[in-house]
This record gives sequence, structure tokens and C-alpha cells, in this order.
Amino acid sequence: MSAQTNELATLDRALGAETPLPRDNGELVFEEPWQGRALGMGVVALQRTGASWAEFRRHLVAAIAARPPADGESAATAYYGAWLDALEGLLAERDLLEQAD
Amino acid sequence: MTHDHHHPRPASTLELRARALEALLAERGLVSTDAIDAVVALYEHDVGPQNGATVVARAWVDERYRERLLSAANEAIGELGFGGAEGDNMVVVANTPAVHNMIVCTLCSCYPWPVLGLPPTWYKSPPYRARAVAEPRAVLREFGLELGDEVEIRVWDSSAEVRYLVLPMRPADTEAWSEKELAAVVTRDCMIGTAVPTAREQAIA
Repeated sequence: MSAQTNELATLDRALGAETPLPRDNGELVFEEPWQGRALGMGVVALQRTGASWAEFRRHLVAAIAARPPADGESAATAYYGAWLDALEGLLAERDLLEQAD
Repeated sequence: MTHDHHHPRPASTLELRARALEALLAERGLVSTDAIDAVVALYEHDVGPQNGATVVARAWVDERYRERLLSAANEAIGELGFGGAEGDNMVVVANTPAVHNMIVCTLCSCYPWPVLGLPPTWYKSPPYRARAVAEPRAVLREFGLELGDEVEIRVWDSSAEVRYLVLPMRPADTEAWSEKELAAVVTRDCMIGTAVPTAREQAIA
């Protein structure tokens, strides 16, 4: 079993059925590079801060609810937009970030 | 409703925000660009069929697991820690000396990705999708798989609701093999049904 299979399965479990990563027939969808960067930032920042995925997921659920896709905006763009909101929210809560500009 | 998150911004703005956040986190020593690169590479790159091979090998060595796998695939696959967030309904179909199974998605490219990773290009190609149903024997021959006329070929059309996985037959003369050795001969194509595992591949691998 490769490391990446496990990593992805772990991430899928961490995010649960409520906030699954955008996929197209199993493939993660990154329409633009920043979306992959956002995902990577989240994974690394959680590792480094010791914040839990449950904590991040709470922020993500709220961010997704607060940020419905705009007209013409793709699901992946909306999702990773909410992902940035969630990450900023989590970091701000831990005083690791000034209020987002 | 005054929060600015209620006004979704275009992607370019999001891109700038992502960059700004990364720069800020890097400045604080919380993340490094290299660390993010490594994580992104992990998730962007091909996820292989190792999960499926593990499931197949377990079914070969454990008759009870095999029964559970064939009767309630989602649960049996979940027992080994695999599964996806898409809530796919998995069905496992077993090859026998009399029946050979192969999977296709005639409509698009539905695929049991939690166990097989990403679909190969040919799986998504219109010729495979059309011909797998119309002339499966000819398609298998092109894959180098020659089946006797006495073998019935069953083609399973995947959909967003049901995704199939082929449980191939255990190769002969592998009684002494470990589960790990067995898993090593179970290729992606074996679980799509366009190949069958052979003990010989183990020597090559």
C-alpha cells in the first residue's frame, strides 16, 4: 500500500461525508493551482499547529454554509474558497493570524 | 448578513488570498513552501490500485471474508480501512472457471476509485466503453486475454450508484504464498477484468 493511498484515505475520513473534497469520478479536482495550494496549506498548518481535523471541519462546515457558490462559480472554487475561510478562521481563533485583511 | 463571505469572489481574488495566506504562514514559520509542495504532490498524483489488491488477497486466503465481500462489499472493504467519501455502492463479482467478469462504464467513466485509484485512460475512452459490451471477447483478446469458448463473459456496467470490482481467481500453485505476495500479482487490470493474475508475474516483479 502506498503512502499516498493512506494519506488520501485518512484525509477523506477526516473530512467525512459532510465536507468531502471535490472530486470527479474519484479524482480530486483542482481547477487552478491555488486550490491545491489551499489544500496543502491546510494539511501542513494542522500538522504544525496540532489543531484537529474535527476542529477544522467545524470551521469548514460553517464556511461552506456562509459561502454559497456564486453564479457561474464551480463547486471546486466555492469549496476551496470556503476552505481558505475555514483555515483563516481556525488560525485566527488560535491567535496565529491577525484578522484577515 | 454583513459578513463578506456572503459575496463570493472570483477565483483570481481567491488565488491572491491563497498566496497571501501562504506568505503569512511561511513568515510565521508555520508552513514552508516545500512542505506544501510535498503535500500537494501526494494528493495530485496517481493513487494506485493497492487497496483493491489488498482486498482481493484477503478474499483469497479467508473464505469468510470472501463471503462477506461478495454479499456486502462496502462493509467488507470498510473492514480493511478502505472506502470513499462519495458513498459509492460497491458490488464485487467473482470470476470462476465458468464465468469471467469485466467492468465498464458505458455512460461515462464511473470507476471503483476507493479501491482502484484513478481510472486508466483507455477505461474512459469511447471505444472501450462501446466495445466492452458489444464484443467483450474481442476486447479481451486485444488485452492479451484469450478465454475459452466455454467461459461465459459477463460485462458489468458501472454507474454513479453502483460500482463493480472483479474478484479474480487465485492463480494456481500459490498455496504457500503470503497475503502480501498474493496482493502483488493482483494488478489493476485484473480487477477491471481485462487481465487475470498469474503466478509468473510474481517472479518478474
